Amino acid sequence: MSSRDVVFESKEVTLLEILDRVLDKGVVISGDLVISVAEVDLVYIGLKALISSVETMERLRGAPFYGPMQEPN
Amino acid sequence: MSQEVKTDSPGDFLEELEKTRDSLPKRIAANPQNVEKGLAKLVLTLIELIRKLMEKQAMRRIENGSLSEAEVERVGETLMKLENKMVELKQIFGLEDEDLNLNLGPLGKLL
Amino acid sequence: MAAYIYGVIDSNDRLDAAMTGLKGTLLRNLPYRDMGVILSDFDKRIAPITKDHAFEHEKVVERLMEHFTVLPFRFPTVFDNEEGVLSMMSARYDNFTDNLRRLRGKMEFGIKVIWPGDKMRMRLTPDQNSSPLLASDTPVKNFLKKKFQEYQKEKKIENEAEARIALVDGFFDGLAAEKKLEKLKTENLLLCAFYLVEKGKQEDFRQAFERLRSSSGEFKYLFSGPWPPYNFIKTANS
Repeated sequence: MSSRDVVFESKEVTLLEILDRVLDKGVVISGDLVISVAEVDLVYIGLKALISSVETMERLRGAPFYGPMQEPN
Repeated sequence: MSQEVKTDSPGDFLEELEKTRDSLPKRIAANPQNVEKGLAKLVLTLIELIRKLMEKQAMRRIENGSLSEAEVERVGETLMKLENKMVELKQIFGLEDEDLNLNLGPLGKLL
Repeated sequence: MAAYIYGVIDSNDRLDAAMTGLKGTLLRNLPYRDMGVILSDFDKRIAPITKDHAFEHEKVVERLMEHFTVLPFRFPTVFDNEEGVLSMMSARYDNFTDNLRRLRGKMEFGIKVIWPGDKMRMRLTPDQNSSPLLASDTPVKNFLKKKFQEYQKEKKIENEAEARIALVDGFFDGLAAEKKLEKLKTENLLLCAFYLVEKGKQEDFRQAFERLRSSSGEFKYLFSGPWPPYNFIKTANS
């Protein structure tokens, strides 16, 4: 049986197809650069919004970003 | 209706698609260890882009004969020096050619 | 409350069922004039940005696609609050109206083609007639000669690629409202094509792929879809 008769569905390729669309395409509100702080991506919308986003993130995380990274409990 | 992703050759596509993922960091991890390397990658990638564009321009003009002898010499010498400098800089920052692969999408035609 | 966005839809009604988003968060439709923004509260459950979340996010968008026309947002898009979302909607309303109209009833398919680009490059012999400008034997001239040979080789490859791509694209003639072709993204990745296909033509499109797949021995093909129209969102500047 030739390999041409067998069609594979590959999980890894599917994931790449999804990531390519979802991470880079669609409606883009922010600029092209994302700065990651303490491994949390912050979408760069503009400096003022960025600063308030950091505050929002800090509230949600329940901890400020400016100290050393704590291990999650 | 869920989507299908089907191919006879998933391994080949995995390999090629991994290469297309931009090595130009869209996300710059701002921590002390790799901020230097991340920025070096960014800067050197952009310089490589410009250098390759200049090379291609020069080739086009050589092809249609629109450069004088003297201009060919000057352009050639400059391109040589640029290339050598880039080799040096890549070595200093421990970056390979693949690290500086800029996936330009529709702009890719420029290169 | 921070808002996590899935997309804009062509309806301002409340969402029917209790549709859930990532990690069981509740989805709601924030109305804006004749459209709406599908969003959820952004909380600690969904805060880490991971591949799994991207995957789940996509599944939510696909479920929405079954009932509405959806303009999917890039992942992740988070606004500080609903005011920010409404302000964005006000700025982009006309653009979203155009996009929704264009994309109604259509879905995206992807076709990828691998060709033996590296082998083809190796088979190419350099042109013996170089440019008269590069005649003499100096280091600069020799440097340029090498570059020039590479350049000529690349041109040959590109021309061959254009021809093959036209052949592949030909299989889908008349089946797509719009298309986007990304050519030679790598040496061997000849084509990444995106097609916007209306519901009625999707079966024909699938069959066209099957015909393509059986056509050439050396090439390799990949089919994916149907997707929400990620590659066909037109921004105001495009």
